[in-house]
Amino acid sequence: MKALMSLGALIGVAGLLLLGGMVFDVVPSTTIRLVEGYMPIQMLLEVACYVIGFTGLSYIMGAMGMAIPRFWQGIGFWVFLMLYLKFRVYPPIPFSVRAMYGTVGLVTVFMWVSANEEDWNKFKQPIMNVLDAQTGMKRLLRYAYLVAIPILVGGFSFNAMMPKSEEPIELRTVHPAPPASTKVHGKTYTLQTSQNPYRVNPEGKYDQEFSNANIVEQGMGRLMKPNANPWDDKNQGYLKYVREGGEIFFQNCHFCHGDNLNGRGLHAFAFNPIPANFTDPGTIAQLQETFIFWRVAKGGIGLPNEGFPWASVMPPWEQHLTVDEIWKVVLFEYWHTGYYPRTWD
Amino acid sequence: MGLLAGKRVFSIMALCMMVGLLLLPIVVALPSPAIGGDAPAGDAAKKDGDKVEKGRDVYYKTEGIVVGAPAPKTTDGPKDYPRYNFESRVLLWFANQQHLYYGSFVLAVPIFCMIIEFMGVVTKDKALAKRYDQLAYDFIKISLTAYSLTAILGGILIFTFLTLYPAFFSYLSGIFRPVMHIYALMFVAESGTLYIYYYGWDKMKEGFLKWIHLSMSVILNVIGTLLMFLANSWIGFMMSPAGVDEQGRYLGNIWHVIHTALWNPLNLHRILGNMAFGGGVVAAYAAYKFLASKTDEDRAHYDWMGYIAMALGVAFLIPLPFAGYWLMREVYAYRQQMGITLMGGLLAWLFIIQATMIGILFLSTNYYLWQAMGRMRGAEKYQRYIKYLVFILACGYMVFITPHTMVMTPAELKAMGGQQHPVLGNYGVMSAKNGGINVIITTTVLSFVWYMRGNKVSTVSWAKFGNIFMGVFFACAYFNIIFLAVYGYYIPANVRVGLSVPQVATTLSCLFFMFALNSVMMKGAKQMGPIEWGKISARSQYALIMLATAFTWMMGLMGYIRSSVRLFWHVNEIMRDNSPWAYTHTVGFAANMISANVLFFWISILFVFWLGSLTAKKVPVESRAGIPGSVPQPAASH
Repeated sequence: MKALMSLGALIGVAGLLLLGGMVFDVVPSTTIRLVEGYMPIQMLLEVACYVIGFTGLSYIMGAMGMAIPRFWQGIGFWVFLMLYLKFRVYPPIPFSVRAMYGTVGLVTVFMWVSANEEDWNKFKQPIMNVLDAQTGMKRLLRYAYLVAIPILVGGFSFNAMMPKSEEPIELRTVHPAPPASTKVHGKTYTLQTSQNPYRVNPEGKYDQEFSNANIVEQGMGRLMKPNANPWDDKNQGYLKYVREGGEIFFQNCHFCHGDNLNGRGLHAFAFNPIPANFTDPGTIAQLQETFIFWRVAKGGIGLPNEGFPWASVMPPWEQHLTVDEIWKVVLFEYWHTGYYPRTWD
Repeated sequence: MGLLAGKRVFSIMALCMMVGLLLLPIVVALPSPAIGGDAPAGDAAKKDGDKVEKGRDVYYKTEGIVVGAPAPKTTDGPKDYPRYNFESRVLLWFANQQHLYYGSFVLAVPIFCMIIEFMGVVTKDKALAKRYDQLAYDFIKISLTAYSLTAILGGILIFTFLTLYPAFFSYLSGIFRPVMHIYALMFVAESGTLYIYYYGWDKMKEGFLKWIHLSMSVILNVIGTLLMFLANSWIGFMMSPAGVDEQGRYLGNIWHVIHTALWNPLNLHRILGNMAFGGGVVAAYAAYKFLASKTDEDRAHYDWMGYIAMALGVAFLIPLPFAGYWLMREVYAYRQQMGITLMGGLLAWLFIIQATMIGILFLSTNYYLWQAMGRMRGAEKYQRYIKYLVFILACGYMVFITPHTMVMTPAELKAMGGQQHPVLGNYGVMSAKNGGINVIITTTVLSFVWYMRGNKVSTVSWAKFGNIFMGVFFACAYFNIIFLAVYGYYIPANVRVGLSVPQVATTLSCLFFMFALNSVMMKGAKQMGPIEWGKISARSQYALIMLATAFTWMMGLMGYIRSSVRLFWHVNEIMRDNSPWAYTHTVGFAANMISANVLFFWISILFVFWLGSLTAKKVPVESRAGIPGSVPQPAASH
């Protein structure tokens, strides 16, 4: 048990040193990389490692007769969480999300330190000591808090109320609900039932399973499947259409959406917000193919009321591309990102 | 003997009267489709031959003879939208929400009464049986005062509709004419049954008569549930109309109008929601009384009452997310647009708030259970592991509430390099969220299991194996839920949606198998000490109040979301809302409005509680002092 706890303590110390380095900008946040494709679970595992580390540290310190008071354990864990979110995770997390996590952190720390009477008494003891102010030092501290807390609250209120020069926060609806149908080049498409005419098997029939088997693999590398290279001239049918879609994409779309389809094209950072990142699991992977068809055809100007504040400069591509070209480019986007279009069956 | 026989006859007559009241609306309504709706049209068809106009049902796609007027095309003006110098929609929102709060409460509490009264009847411990009976009586007493208020608020709601939205209400009542009459008669039946049930309590408290009384509670709940189903048909019609043609003309089939695409999911969701809400309100009442108690005896009583109400409420809270999932699935199936507006578009941020509230409900429940372990000797062995449960809950909760599209300043947007965060953005999609909520529910189940075995040590010969099995089962459950949440990113969306089934199955397996196994293991277990009712921290009671407040707030929020998903339609795609308020409120305004509704409800229900306390029935001493030391000890009543 002691050996395990010592190992935990070692992890805890190493973790704290690393985090300290990141806070003081001695160690870059990217020292331990967040690996694409595994980032979300990696972050949770890292925090779990810290918790194991803190358990070990607490145990060892207790065994050495230098137990950390419960009050400081609670405060310390919350401070750690905030520092981790601010300095470890990159790119930077917006304040609104850190505030949400911070509040959850506070609540959970409270739940932990007050889960039973013994812990709760231990936690509140330092607070009660200051409030009781039996010694001169405690009395001094009490007066200091009496002055400092209103000043702090006042300072926060002042900061919150002070007019700011930065642009206001926007609650943008990135994927507004589409219309039931859309008319492109004189033909009406029902979004719930229409299909991409180029998502076909060698027999020429609509076949999503066939196309799914030929898209690139997700995760690290995004490798093409064997014998599924659209740029092989011998390939016909689905892969040929993917190639044609790719050509259209690189002639028209990649300037903004990027050659990796990650929204970081040549012109991307001239726009705010930058163009959609198709490799994110929350964009085309969440949507029906017909939704993409509608968005490409109608562009930013065709966004419905719900798409407020209509922050999209994408042109209505129906003015530049044929219906077939739009379907092919949509086909290519799904193939390249390795995502499957959403279906409802 | 003669007196007893007389009582029996009286009781059976009362029961028959209730059944009669239940059947009355149905009997009255039976001719209505035949002569009230179809027949004139049918006669007209015979007389006028080819002149009969037929329409196509917008949902069922069946042909029907047009018997109603088209939905009115309203214009913004005093004719269609008479108003005060105030937003009519807000007035209606307030009246509707208050009526719904009270309606839910008075529908849920009789179900509790039925369950608790039944527990009292079947319990062999006489002292405990009396306590259950008293508890059920206390519940129905509170409900009775709230019932009058529900009726008053219902009247206010109808007057608000009639005076502020006459065109819309006239159209709706034109279509639902027979249903509204049945509803009114059902209300009479509900009132009659409730009064007989309440006032007959003392007269039918023993033996065969008690069973008759219990049967009355079943009838009372059947009537209440049917009432709710009928009211649900109106909102179901407004969201997903059926039984009318494209112009909104009624086609004569009342069942089509009632049985719309969303009716059944709404019915199930509302039953479960009402029960969870009712449990929360009663638990808060008990918590309030506990905190105000002056004696150990009272504290013990209200601690026990709070625990029972919380347990019942949570029992219905656990399946609630799954019923909500079914409702959303049906919404998507009905109109993809509606689903996207709800969960991915305009109203998506409200769902993040909803996730936050759901998380609060489960966190409060867990916290209460951990606190409740403090009143059991022997539960200390679990206390040191609570911090790990807190960590697991926190991780699940943070994932569950992470928004996909974050609120940020343009500067933060640039620094992040895109609309979605590459790490946290992954938590914002359904796959991760399903994992998050299932982890939270499984942890709640684990807390319950710990609570149930808190003061006991299993004496079965295979106890060690059982404990290891349970530990491995929970570990595998967590692994499976998290694995499926991660795997969901690598498969098509339609398959991913299906993954929620094994996730839910895992959670429910934990719930049923582990509860069952635990009960078997704890049969005849050695008790480390009794449950010391009343010896619980005040924090636990605040957790109950938090639970109830979160229920109330969430109910207001979900009602708002469900209603505003129609956007600018009174009746979706049939009757357009042309009032000046046919826009969606900002998130901030909606949150303030919901908070105001919650505040009003709690102030008014405190008044109801106070009224109830004025007629407080003295609890028989023997029923409150089953065990020496004056503190009741229903230790085995987990």
